[in-house]
Amino acid sequence: MLEQLSDLYLTYQSTLGYIGINALLALSVYVSLSCGQLALGSAGFAALGAYAGALATMKADLPFPLALLLSALLPALVAVPLGLPVLRLKGVFLAIATIGFGEVVRLGLVNWEYVNGAQGIVAIPQKASIWMISLAVAVTLYVLSRVRGSKWGFALEAIREDEPAARTMGIPSTRYKLAMLVLGAALAGLAGGLEAHFTFMVAPNGFGFSRVVDMLVFAVVGGAQLFWGPVVGAGFLTVLPEVLREVAPLVGIEPGPLRMLVNGLVLLLVILYLPAGLVSLPRRLRERRAAP
Amino acid sequence: MGQQVINGLFLGSIYALFALGYTLVFGVLDILNLAHAAVFMVATFVAVALVGHGVHILLALPAAVLFAGLLGLVLERVAFRPLRARTDSNIAGLISSLAAATIIEAVVLEIWGPNITRFPFGTLPEGPTNQLRLLGGTVSRLQLTIIAVAGLLVLALTWLVQRTRLGREVRAVAESPRAARVLGVDVDRAIAAAFFISSALGGAGGVLYGLAFNSISPDMGRGVELKGLAVIILGGMGSMPGAVLAGFALGLTEVFVVANLGGSWRDVISFAGLFLFLVLRPRGLLGAAVTREA
Amino acid sequence: MRLAPRISLLVAASLLSIGSAHAETVVKIGAALSLTGPAAAYGAQQKVGILAAVEEVNRSGALKGVKLEAVIEDDASTKEQGIAVFQRFINKDKVAAIIGPTLSNTATAADPLAQGARVPVVAVSNTAPKGITDIGDFIWRVSLTEGQVIPGALKRLQAKLGFKKAGVLYGNDDAFTQAGYNVMKAATEAMALEVVGTQTFAKPDKDYTAQLTALLGGKPEILIVSALVENASGIVAQARQLGWQGPIFGGNGFNSPKLMGNAGPAAEGVYVGTAWNKVSSAAPNQAFLKNMAARAHEPDQFCAQAWTGVMAIAEAIRLSGKGGREEVRAGFLKLKALPTPLGTFSFLESRDGSHDPALQVVKDGKFQIVQ
Repeated sequence: MLEQLSDLYLTYQSTLGYIGINALLALSVYVSLSCGQLALGSAGFAALGAYAGALATMKADLPFPLALLLSALLPALVAVPLGLPVLRLKGVFLAIATIGFGEVVRLGLVNWEYVNGAQGIVAIPQKASIWMISLAVAVTLYVLSRVRGSKWGFALEAIREDEPAARTMGIPSTRYKLAMLVLGAALAGLAGGLEAHFTFMVAPNGFGFSRVVDMLVFAVVGGAQLFWGPVVGAGFLTVLPEVLREVAPLVGIEPGPLRMLVNGLVLLLVILYLPAGLVSLPRRLRERRAAP
Repeated sequence: MGQQVINGLFLGSIYALFALGYTLVFGVLDILNLAHAAVFMVATFVAVALVGHGVHILLALPAAVLFAGLLGLVLERVAFRPLRARTDSNIAGLISSLAAATIIEAVVLEIWGPNITRFPFGTLPEGPTNQLRLLGGTVSRLQLTIIAVAGLLVLALTWLVQRTRLGREVRAVAESPRAARVLGVDVDRAIAAAFFISSALGGAGGVLYGLAFNSISPDMGRGVELKGLAVIILGGMGSMPGAVLAGFALGLTEVFVVANLGGSWRDVISFAGLFLFLVLRPRGLLGAAVTREA
Repeated sequence: MRLAPRISLLVAASLLSIGSAHAETVVKIGAALSLTGPAAAYGAQQKVGILAAVEEVNRSGALKGVKLEAVIEDDASTKEQGIAVFQRFINKDKVAAIIGPTLSNTATAADPLAQGARVPVVAVSNTAPKGITDIGDFIWRVSLTEGQVIPGALKRLQAKLGFKKAGVLYGNDDAFTQAGYNVMKAATEAMALEVVGTQTFAKPDKDYTAQLTALLGGKPEILIVSALVENASGIVAQARQLGWQGPIFGGNGFNSPKLMGNAGPAAEGVYVGTAWNKVSSAAPNQAFLKNMAARAHEPDQFCAQAWTGVMAIAEAIRLSGKGGREEVRAGFLKLKALPTPLGTFSFLESRDGSHDPALQVVKDGKFQIVQ
């Protein structure tokens, strides 16, 4: 029995780790969304964090906590000069500008011979463990839970609902938006640093456009209105392929295309029928049952 | 040098064709339709399948374009219309278009598999006899045809949008859906029309792209998806002449970056340029001064 | 004491069942393949090769009392799912050996897990010279690295054609093509070739005319290209359209019938160093081709290498007489001169594969061997 349980844990430990990493990445997109900003630079920030962390442990021999600190700090520092001009843009334009930033980071790494270009940095020592990743998620959630209901929380909500009105009420919206972008960058960088030390390698291809799309999808499927929604989304969508691996042979379909199809369908159904994400499902069901 | 100009014009015409439909929906709904690249791809597969069954390309092309247009109507009905009343409709629309793109790609992958295919040999006349010397470079008749078709489609679309009643309605909706409704415009119909035209154009772009490069695969839209974004931003939101101009500008710029700095700089310059353009001149080349800034 | 008869009955029953199972011990081989995502075309070929080889081994009865079973899982061309698949193979399916993963990048992330758990891995398509087999003593490789194929092939071609000036084109955003380029660069330097220009493209590209025009402007005598097959046919076709009549030398990615399928007559005169000589008349290769023809499948090098991967594992099991993880590894250490479709195969001390590469040229729409 014990052996079976330990096998089960060993089988899914990487999935557990990735739930945490993906949760941090989803939260990095969420913090900007919480004040109404669709900023999609997180793949670029995560790449900066991953490379900074990997180089810190491998080239500079820094202790792991210090390397992680660097992973979070470097993208946060980059986010300030990036945010000042781009946060004037709104809606999809902000999204496009930040996508452009992410691509420039990826291409820079592809062209940087010191870090082996497309082949990336390999043989990174595995220093991140599941408990560290879980701790990082827990601390982030705690901080976000404190923001909710505070002066900060109300200001962010006001900016999300109606920015000009918030500004007339004396809320310095630009400062708040920048703070959230910097926080998002730090979270993405932290996730990148953890991933680098969890999976033995980093390469630029892991931080392309499709990666940031994944992060956005985690946040939206889970629910982008509550701070724990993105964590639920990341958990659900990270586990889904493993579940489909079990189900696909039973229904006799190739797991590959099926996984894509189910991903697409889940996303479509959530955005159409559960705008507040999966976390709103229990409430919706209760309302359904209460109604005649 | 002459050859590079030809290369740039040809690449530019492909970008322009892709971006035209992209920018039309963007201009009308303020929604980035990420399924555009998937429509572009699936139309090409439909055309290849038709030609494979012995249909002449001159029939297969319009059939695939029609298919793409109809698919656009379905997308509008399923993935966009239900979101229209929402306040965050531009973010929600981005997501639902992404979902639609994933579903389309999964279906194509299931039917046709991941392998790269091409139009059968002899779909179009090929070979050295079909090449012309121009500006000191070589250009194939097919390339000239594609540039010409792209030009024709631009003219037709401009006429449609500027001169017809439908076009006026679409433009009115783009300005303000509420005002358009007050003026008696059937907003739903105008938006559906914009989607049909946009997707049909995307489909035409895909088939021509497939004919030109003959490497057709379920992920073939990826290469133009982000470049298309750069083009519509450069051209100015919703501006069709702008998209065409920006398409050619991007094509020529890329070619000259490759020729003078090397290929590894090309995408860096494209995306850095996109970024700088958004920050420094948000209205694009030909866009009206619109509310891109908060 | 009343229980005793029942226990002995149970024991007898279980002995019986063991007895019947013993006739055939099932040995599981996990295959982590990219069946979706950017590398899906390679994974599809590998899947056919693995399934066919497992069937062939079981049919032949070469492994007395052992039945191979392939467990194939999709890694979606990502390292995240590659890792998940490896954990599954190691801890849930308890496979004796793992084949794959398709991509080198995924291998650098997943192979260390197998090394840690002491599960032998056979790489069948990773060609990056560094970072794969040096992960540890459980990581083995059937596929030749670019470093084993390209320099020799290029030298042989130079002796034949006598070129001195080369233009180089490669995909710089892909680990496979970038590794190929690094080898090409070293080879051109060692041969003192004059490189008139080096250009790059990205994997999603379809238009390479700008790069080719720039390269041809430098008047090279040969084009040296490192590209995946998706890009290769387009590059070849566009080079010909721009008037290039000279030789084109391609890396491993050119090694697919898709090249002629998509580029048509333009592919004539393309030279490729190859790990698999498709037209070899050696018996193991002919048997492989016959097997594939019966499946109406057109194999490429990836298919042949995947088949060989299974054959190497089967041979290892035969040599050590048992299908456990340590036994498979011990078998690899003993494996010598195995006849395979790739040629006579052995492992080097570095656990990389070793067999004779060949140089081929496209002629009359087919790969033909350059003597």
